[in-house]
Amino acid sequence: MTALSDLVPLPDLPPWSTVLALTPALLAAVASVAVGRTSVATSWRLAKAATGVMALAVMAITVLRIATGQHANGLARIDNVTVAMLALISLVAAVVTRYSSVYLRGDAHERRYASRLLATVAAVSVVVVANQLLVLMAAWMATSIALHGLLTYFGDRPVAVAVAHKKFLLARCADACMLGATVAFGTAFSTLRIDTIVDRAVTIPSLPVAGRVGIMLIALAAVLKCAQLPFHGWLIQVMEAPTPVSALLHAGVVNLGGVVLLRFAPVVDRATETRALLVIVGVVTAVVASLVMTTRVSVKVALAWSTCAQMGFMLLQCGLGIWQMAMLHLLAHSVYKAYAFLSAGDTVRRTQRAQLAATAAGPGTRAVVAGAGIAIAATVAVGALWAQLPRTEPLPASAWVLLGVVALALVPLTTPFGAGDHRSLIVRAAIVPLAYLALHDVFGRIVPHARTTPTLLLVFVAIGFVGLFITQATLLVAPHARIAQRAHPWIYAGLFLDESFTRVAFALSPPPAVRPRWAPLPQPRVTIAIPNTDHRLQLSAERSTS
Amino acid sequence: MTTTIGPNSPGPVRDAVDAACDRVAPTWPLDRFIAVNPYWGWRELPIAEAAGQLGALAGTTLTMPRSWFRDEWAAGRLAEHHLDAVAALGDPDLAGAARAVVHDRAEPATPALTQLPLVTDVVDASRGSAPAPGRTWSDVITHQIGQHCAGHFDEWQATWSPGREHGLFDSWRASLSVTHGFGWRHGSRWARAQLDSLPSEPTAAIAAIVDDLGIDDEASGHYLTAVLASVNGWAAWCAYRRFQARLYDVDDDAIVDLLAVRLAWEWLLASDSEALADALESWAHAWSHTAAALVDATCESQRVDWVLQAAAERTYQDSVISGLADGQPVEGEPDVQAVFCIDVRSEVFRRALESTGDSIQTRGFAGFFGLPISYTPAGSSLTRPQLPGLLAPVLDVSDVVTDRLGRRVNVDRSDVLAERQRWEAFGHLPSSGFSFVETMGLAGGAKLVKHSVPHQQHPPKWESDGLGDAVRLRPRLAVIDDDPAAAALLAQRVLTGMGMLEGFAPMVMLCGHGSLTTNNPHAAGLDCGACGGQTGEVNARVLADLLNDTGVRRELSGLGVDVPASTWFVAALHTTTTDQVELFDTDLAPASHRERIDELEHQLCAAGDIARAERADSLGLGRLAASPQRLERAIAARANDWSEVQPEWGLAGNAAFVVAPRWRTRHVDLHGRCFLHDYDWTCDHDVAVLTLIMTAPMVVTNWINLQYHASTVDNGRYGSGNKVLHNVVGGNIGVFEGNGGDLRIGLPIQSLHDGNTLRHHPLRLSVFIEAPRAAIDAVIASQPVVHDLVSNEWLNLLRIETSDGTVEERSAHGWIARHAGPEHRGPSR
Repeated sequence: MTALSDLVPLPDLPPWSTVLALTPALLAAVASVAVGRTSVATSWRLAKAATGVMALAVMAITVLRIATGQHANGLARIDNVTVAMLALISLVAAVVTRYSSVYLRGDAHERRYASRLLATVAAVSVVVVANQLLVLMAAWMATSIALHGLLTYFGDRPVAVAVAHKKFLLARCADACMLGATVAFGTAFSTLRIDTIVDRAVTIPSLPVAGRVGIMLIALAAVLKCAQLPFHGWLIQVMEAPTPVSALLHAGVVNLGGVVLLRFAPVVDRATETRALLVIVGVVTAVVASLVMTTRVSVKVALAWSTCAQMGFMLLQCGLGIWQMAMLHLLAHSVYKAYAFLSAGDTVRRTQRAQLAATAAGPGTRAVVAGAGIAIAATVAVGALWAQLPRTEPLPASAWVLLGVVALALVPLTTPFGAGDHRSLIVRAAIVPLAYLALHDVFGRIVPHARTTPTLLLVFVAIGFVGLFITQATLLVAPHARIAQRAHPWIYAGLFLDESFTRVAFALSPPPAVRPRWAPLPQPRVTIAIPNTDHRLQLSAERSTS
Repeated sequence: MTTTIGPNSPGPVRDAVDAACDRVAPTWPLDRFIAVNPYWGWRELPIAEAAGQLGALAGTTLTMPRSWFRDEWAAGRLAEHHLDAVAALGDPDLAGAARAVVHDRAEPATPALTQLPLVTDVVDASRGSAPAPGRTWSDVITHQIGQHCAGHFDEWQATWSPGREHGLFDSWRASLSVTHGFGWRHGSRWARAQLDSLPSEPTAAIAAIVDDLGIDDEASGHYLTAVLASVNGWAAWCAYRRFQARLYDVDDDAIVDLLAVRLAWEWLLASDSEALADALESWAHAWSHTAAALVDATCESQRVDWVLQAAAERTYQDSVISGLADGQPVEGEPDVQAVFCIDVRSEVFRRALESTGDSIQTRGFAGFFGLPISYTPAGSSLTRPQLPGLLAPVLDVSDVVTDRLGRRVNVDRSDVLAERQRWEAFGHLPSSGFSFVETMGLAGGAKLVKHSVPHQQHPPKWESDGLGDAVRLRPRLAVIDDDPAAAALLAQRVLTGMGMLEGFAPMVMLCGHGSLTTNNPHAAGLDCGACGGQTGEVNARVLADLLNDTGVRRELSGLGVDVPASTWFVAALHTTTTDQVELFDTDLAPASHRERIDELEHQLCAAGDIARAERADSLGLGRLAASPQRLERAIAARANDWSEVQPEWGLAGNAAFVVAPRWRTRHVDLHGRCFLHDYDWTCDHDVAVLTLIMTAPMVVTNWINLQYHASTVDNGRYGSGNKVLHNVVGGNIGVFEGNGGDLRIGLPIQSLHDGNTLRHHPLRLSVFIEAPRAAIDAVIASQPVVHDLVSNEWLNLLRIETSDGTVEERSAHGWIARHAGPEHRGPSR
């Protein structure tokens, strides 16, 4: 596998390649400005064309990367992460734009929507190619501001406005962290060029305090922007924006914290306190948010909690230094979640399919224990055999811990209960770890990983996920047990973390007022008659019912 | 108000509770999303009076804003002399006022409704008491109740659910979000103590709270109605549970629990707001002393709106009436009789099919074909009703499993289905989700691409999930084999209802209908409402199978119904989204009918082209109207498009229900706005068939019509808002618009409005019946539901005279002859 120090600093990127690297962003930016100036139909055609050409530009960048290797200069970089992220963004942008062009038909402000959508895509495309800390910071900030326009698309909805405001406040905190990191890195390494910072950070014997502060601030920015507990509320509540906005947000924006951390991966690996922060926040969020997800009653909110948990998992992988899996997780989660949101309307059909197959009883304790036994045995066997293959290295401890997570994940596939052919249990049990190891290997060739991981962090992760599995198994076996029933209200309420956070945040900065918006159907004008103390009805300000 | 609440006799309040609960119409879950008249609980009141109450208590209106009528007048869809005619029937003084509305551009807009406040409104109106910046108590309470109800009723979304062994009220009192989620002035311990002090029995709690708030017995009915209306969506869900329970002679009290929950919120908020004690005293006084007066004042202010509404309906009626006199009975025996559902979408297709040849006779009948069945697909654990929501199924249909292959299908299917559920669990369980994403997540990329490319290949039906491609199932009634005599009785009943006891053509097509949409939570709303929000395939196939059975035919002839041996019944399904018709079980047809089937298929294709060309413009595909193949492909691609929010216009535009022989309307273009039911009064000596039509299909069409109406005039309350924000609750219960809030019922904006124009003109249904006065009057007199709908003006009733096709309308003054007006400007759309 590639060692970290082989990668930095990167060879120089020639100027015309810089232009190419920024072409996707430029295309989206130009289209974003242009769509506001033509008819609705032309605007959408233009937007779709822009995302189409964007995909071609990304292909050209990929060819360049393959042909000439990884390069960087003081502005941009073309490396594996850039190529992977650009491919992801152009896919999501093309799909979301096409989807929106039909989905929003007839809405009063379609063009404004298209413009903001493309602006967001443009800003994200800069974030993933930037090799300059200030550019990175500015582009990340621009992403959040362009997205804000999409989140407040229905500016007449109080919750939409309030939630976007909550996100706005958090994003500005994250920007402050990034600014602090810029100052700290500038002080420590006398440069703002990212690959140079990393190069200097890994070549000096120990990381200076300013460098440690800088990387900690970057991790904090990632935690804030990846909607980790207790800063997750906005992500859960932004269902007040059209479905494709959720798809874009969950596939292309919320995960940028992971991209930024990947840029600084070698620095993170040298800063144990930052790794601890990421692992602790990541594990707690992954465990709590995934449990909360199981109590959600609406499909989109359940998906949002799932994203919150998945981002926690990605951050904990960053903390453990398993960067290749963090990269895989980021990409796989993005496309999976974009699809899940865009197809959320299919929920009713999925329910009907589940009704076709409904079974009366869940598995018993014995079945779950047997399932766990089969899953662990199969995973260990696959892992041990994998290590015997030529061209593979022995798996590091961190990989074994994550393989343990895979083993626990397998249990629903290996639990012998209900109908079905139980002979295929072993096949199912083997396929998943095999796929996992194969992808681990592929991504290991694209993104490097840390040489060591503090044992304490691994133990923490192990405890977290074994605890999660036991909780889940308990709920499956005895859903009506006293403990499950007593815990449910707390988990259902998300431990009231967001309520507390919101109260503090809005006390400091209350959300702006809603703006009226054109509605196609009539809304009855209603005056609520509030009586005053002499028993006469007094007409209060008019309000529209909604 | 710090008094603690004690036990109280719930006597007089119980009636008020029942009355308030009875006002709420049910809403069906999304997988059986049939249309419901949301004003159903108000039907025993005249519509204008119900509107007055709904306005004062719930802040909703039943008519469009006056500016809309002005626009209708300008567009020629509202004739001026009809304003006078309508006013003359009621109050002639209103004619001037109504004319002023349409003439005078300066005429002020519809006056704002005045709504009586709840405690939450009083608290919201006082300064500095918002629960959070920018939020009102009304909103956060609705949201909290919505979340709690969703948790309580959800069966398919969450995998970890709260305890439900006690009722909704009990579980709400135990929940933490009330005490911990809000900043109570007295603290969360106080809130807990307050909740604990409430009687645990909901009706007792309601009685105690109403008493403590100082609302007197007389006003409590109004007040409780208003309280329940503030959580109308969930109230409708609870009403559905009660409706279903009562179909099977049990009961469900969740709606009373919900009322107690919302009322307890009122009480908690009142108790926590000591500074408002005086204001709340006046508030209670206002309820007790001014509610009735406000209702009257609201009715008074809306009188002119009802004149405008009735005039718009009259203008539309004229466009129908003008064609009726020209109808001529068709001569000659048909080669094919095609029975379609009464659905308005059938009208377009029937007209198209008839234009392909005079040998085709089409007929209209309820699309469940009178079969009181439920259906259990082979090898599955699902049983779903296939009949109108008003009825409970009596017979169960499953797929024929007679041979070895069939038995294997059952077993294989449940294996395949179980296997899929395992992988579902792998994807969704908390400790599996992470590894699922890492190992399988990348496949999402391929799915994103696949769904973004337009294609004509319709996805497999969900009903066929877990079946191999080659497997074909045949639904069949068990009773055919068990008891042919009983089966024949059922067949006879169905044929009588259809008016088809003789004169069978060699081929009779029984055509159900269904829609084809992708990624659409409200898909079932576009399917056949008479089949319980499913496609009509099962019913059509079961009936064809029943009528083709030789044993049943033998028994039938014993009952005096002779179906010629040369007659073959063929089942079909009209896909309304694409106007394609599929024939079923043609492999079973005798060789003698092969040619006829081929010819019919050919005609159905041609009719599809005609119908699609007619609808092209409304789908924004007008440029393809002249190229049938491209249009067919474009429409199919639209149906498969996962981002499509307007796959078809469903029943938008519905405005009339014609109960008459088809020849009466066969020559008229009714623009897909009419339900058509075949009926020949000369064969209905005891008025039994007419009674059935007026108590069943007419009620169903009223439900559909007023669902569209209510969703249009007040989408915020009776519609489901914007589709782009829809968020499915509980897997199938309904949708939230956005994060949460109340459950949203009714139709989304996109089903009613295309962004430029309104696709549904909210006109009450005009029912045209060709029958003698006496017969119609007899049904009205004997059927309370029909009496309510007609006398209270929830629909318009008109009568067609058989001899000359003239029309008279039923008004408060009896039957009045109608003539098409002098300024009639042609058929209106």
